[in-house]
Amino acid sequence: MFVTRHIPTDHQDLIHDVSYDFHGRRMATCSTDQTVQIWDLQDNGEWKCTASWKSHSGSVWRVTWAHPEFGQVIATCSFDRTVSVWEECVGDTGRDGVQSNWIRKTSHVDSRTSIMDVKFAPKHLGLLLATCSADGIVRIYEAPDVMNLSQWSLQHEIMCKISCSCISWNASRMHAPMIAVGSDDPSPSAGGKCQIYEFNSANRKWNKVESLSVVTDPVHDVAFAPNLGRSHHLLAIASKDLKIISLTPYG
Amino acid sequence: MSVMHNVSKAVHDRVSTNNPHNSYGINCEGAVNAMDLNRDVSRVVVAGRNVFKIYNVEDDEFTEKFNLRVGRKLNLDFSVSDVAWSHIDDNILASAATNGKVVIWDLNKPSKSKQDFIFQEHTLVLDGSLKIFDIRLKRVASTFSVGSTSIRDVQFCPSNFNYFAFAAADEGGNVQIWDMRRLTSPEKQFTAHGGPMFCLDWHPSEPKWLATGGRDRTIKIWDHALGKLLYSVPTIASVARIKWRPERKYHIASCSLVIDFSINVWDVRRPYIPFASFEEHKNVATGIVWKKDDGHTFYSSGKDNFLYQHVFKDAIRPADKVVPDGLDVSVIGHVTQATKDKTKSLEKKKYSMFSKQPDKGDQFIDAKSFVFSYTNCHQLLSMEWFVNCAKQYILHGRSFEEMCEHNAQVSDQNDRFQVAQSWRMLKAIYTKPTVTKNLLRTESVMSNVSEKPKDKVNQPDTPKSTEKDKQTMDATSEDDDMTDTDLSSIARGQINPPVEWDILFGGADVEQSFPTFGHMENIGPDFKLPKEAFVPRHEIKDPSEVPKQNNQDSPPLSANETEANPANNHNSKVNEDINMLLLMKEVEISEFAFTDCVEQMLKYFAEEGDVQTTVCMLVVLGERRPKIPEEIQDDWFISYLELLARFKLWTVSNTLINLSHLGSISMMNHQSTTINVTCNQCNRVLTKVGWLCHKCKSVINSCAVCHLPVKGLFVWCQGCSHGGHINHIQEWLTISKQCPTGCGHICEYT
Repeated sequence: MFVTRHIPTDHQDLIHDVSYDFHGRRMATCSTDQTVQIWDLQDNGEWKCTASWKSHSGSVWRVTWAHPEFGQVIATCSFDRTVSVWEECVGDTGRDGVQSNWIRKTSHVDSRTSIMDVKFAPKHLGLLLATCSADGIVRIYEAPDVMNLSQWSLQHEIMCKISCSCISWNASRMHAPMIAVGSDDPSPSAGGKCQIYEFNSANRKWNKVESLSVVTDPVHDVAFAPNLGRSHHLLAIASKDLKIISLTPYG
Repeated sequence: MSVMHNVSKAVHDRVSTNNPHNSYGINCEGAVNAMDLNRDVSRVVVAGRNVFKIYNVEDDEFTEKFNLRVGRKLNLDFSVSDVAWSHIDDNILASAATNGKVVIWDLNKPSKSKQDFIFQEHTLVLDGSLKIFDIRLKRVASTFSVGSTSIRDVQFCPSNFNYFAFAAADEGGNVQIWDMRRLTSPEKQFTAHGGPMFCLDWHPSEPKWLATGGRDRTIKIWDHALGKLLYSVPTIASVARIKWRPERKYHIASCSLVIDFSINVWDVRRPYIPFASFEEHKNVATGIVWKKDDGHTFYSSGKDNFLYQHVFKDAIRPADKVVPDGLDVSVIGHVTQATKDKTKSLEKKKYSMFSKQPDKGDQFIDAKSFVFSYTNCHQLLSMEWFVNCAKQYILHGRSFEEMCEHNAQVSDQNDRFQVAQSWRMLKAIYTKPTVTKNLLRTESVMSNVSEKPKDKVNQPDTPKSTEKDKQTMDATSEDDDMTDTDLSSIARGQINPPVEWDILFGGADVEQSFPTFGHMENIGPDFKLPKEAFVPRHEIKDPSEVPKQNNQDSPPLSANETEANPANNHNSKVNEDINMLLLMKEVEISEFAFTDCVEQMLKYFAEEGDVQTTVCMLVVLGERRPKIPEEIQDDWFISYLELLARFKLWTVSNTLINLSHLGSISMMNHQSTTINVTCNQCNRVLTKVGWLCHKCKSVINSCAVCHLPVKGLFVWCQGCSHGGHINHIQEWLTISKQCPTGCGHICEYT
């Protein structure tokens, strides 16, 4: 059933994340060797590396694609405490096999500790970026002008009071913006390792609506299922074991 | 998305557990700029702008021994930027004051002030001079001409390698290696950093190795004899201090000038992640000194006023905390996984059977990942059905029955039997019942359907689907707990030939239930079922029970009664309703409130995540659609459109937008539909016609191949904006990649 291919990367150290783009035709990998590589799916089914560059001065933990409506844009987060947004620039030499250029559009340096995860918000919220750092602060940045990727403003800082490891946006259009934050804090006494925050449009603040006390093991990843018109949300939590949690909004 | 399967096992090197020392610290009551240990590690001096103290190093704490910042006049001589013990006499100290003076301190002095004497040779800090002082003669022994730059750090070569050599780090990023006996020019000089260099350190055991660090945020390891770069460690901030770890050839400790408050110990062979990290300091660390010949203990001072003793067993191991695996699933169902290469460590383990335990420090450096992509994945992940259905569904242009039937067949072909049955059910519900015809047609369809899946029975890999087939083909559907077949069996109920009715109800029972229907007819179209009454997914009880319950409940239900008695036995009601439904079909009545159950069905599919079915049914239903709040319908449409976008099914998505009855959706392709064209000769915006410029009166964008104006499909290269008839350009591109106008551009058509 599975056709397995080995993709020879020339990453010099551990790879921490792979991420497909919206259409599943491109892929980004990031590594502790501080580089990011972009792969394109060829017509023959092979993956070809079209770009590789040193993106940070620390391990690059995660890479994520923006919705293609905003262009070919990725965001990376790193041990060096920064988050960078990159845009592909196809020059005259591009396309036919030549490496493409990725330009750093912005770099957020607000964090005092390693940034563990970065995720673009669902498209209908605009061009928003959520980051979470090892000292438990979730930051939400917005690019007010989607055509100008170099101008971002820090919209919100949410103190989670627990070391964060991963973050996920809820893609539902029907409900208030929502994010789930996972923590890799190893101590069981630190409470629920997965917190849910919801945006309250009345006072323009993010409020904690839920701390999932069933999750006591360190969480390594969280992901909301695409909503697709459901009235409830599905959240997958990767910790020692996998939990899939259904969240039904009140009323 | 990335996943951490099992936390990688710790890569500690051998930490002596019997090490009696522990980490501890003391507040020096002032930001510390520099520190040093004496020869036998019994005393430590810390100095800063407002602090100058000597502590005894005890087992579990530091105890204050001297405070040198005493006296009436606390001038700048007491404000220290660097400090060092004498290598010969434990009571002699030298400090560099922030005013450029070098002060010698003698702890043996009987007076309270231990200041011995002051060299005032440097006029400034960073005055660009390099001197050697002789503290016996109390004068400058030699001055070296370093040129115009300032020196940031000097370190004597370990005396067992070269007694006379020392290295200086200059602000231009050059390493200067001097011989003490030669004052005019350095023995050797090479550029190590692009920008100021702040520190350097000779390797204690490798005579040729020299480490440097600078503002360019890298630590570099050089073969200083050749001026050759051996290793490079990129860090996250300007490097303030570096110190080789004793007893470990490849390990070096560093601290930063800004941003990073931790002290990192790197293995230069794996330069990207610290081997160990010490995060006690709350501000930048300023001094690092290893305990002599002990690779597990070191001392550090910081701007946060603290002096710490660090031991390795308390270190943070960043490499242990990293996520060793990454995985993502694409919309097409491909999976890519990056995983840690474990083969090397396994090999090592094999060897270790015969030899001694491998050094864990060696394991640390073997970190590589494999990337695997799994294509053509499991059916579970494949979205082929989605694409096929999206492409093949007919949503307009045919009669309702035909569309339902066609879509049902499409669903069947994609093994989506529940959806297929739902389509058929829709058709049956809303078709004006010319019952006999209907029956025949569905029958024929059913035989078609049954043929296809039967072929699959032989294939061993689809046992599930065949099982489902059997269930759907099986009209009785008793005790069936699969929701989909429940739905389908309801639909089936209406279209089953009377023979099977007998199986279901028995002749007499059918007669008995007729009165129920008769009553219904009187109520007419006003009759509405309470919502909970008809749950399409509800399990059908053993049909033979139905009439019994009817008898119990007689006289037959009226609408009022149903609403008035919500507490009625739920099951029995459902059965009755089904019963009614079946009966009505028989006598060609279609005016029945199906809308509720259709609504629930649509919602059911949406809740299951199958928004495709929901939206397509909504479109096909047209005016028959149940009343569902527009926001919810909006959401369904947009979700489906986004899914279509993921598969680049633009045509399908546009058709859908056109067909949508929702204002907000059908507006979507009314937005930004204007293309502005300018004349390629005079740059005037073309407003009225797209091919003739009113200003310069020329035909624009004529075909570059045939030089005629293009009407119809015009393609052009976005790079040079030349183009022409699509067939001409296509032809041209088979011959040449360059622009047909001869502008020299290598055209890009995508």
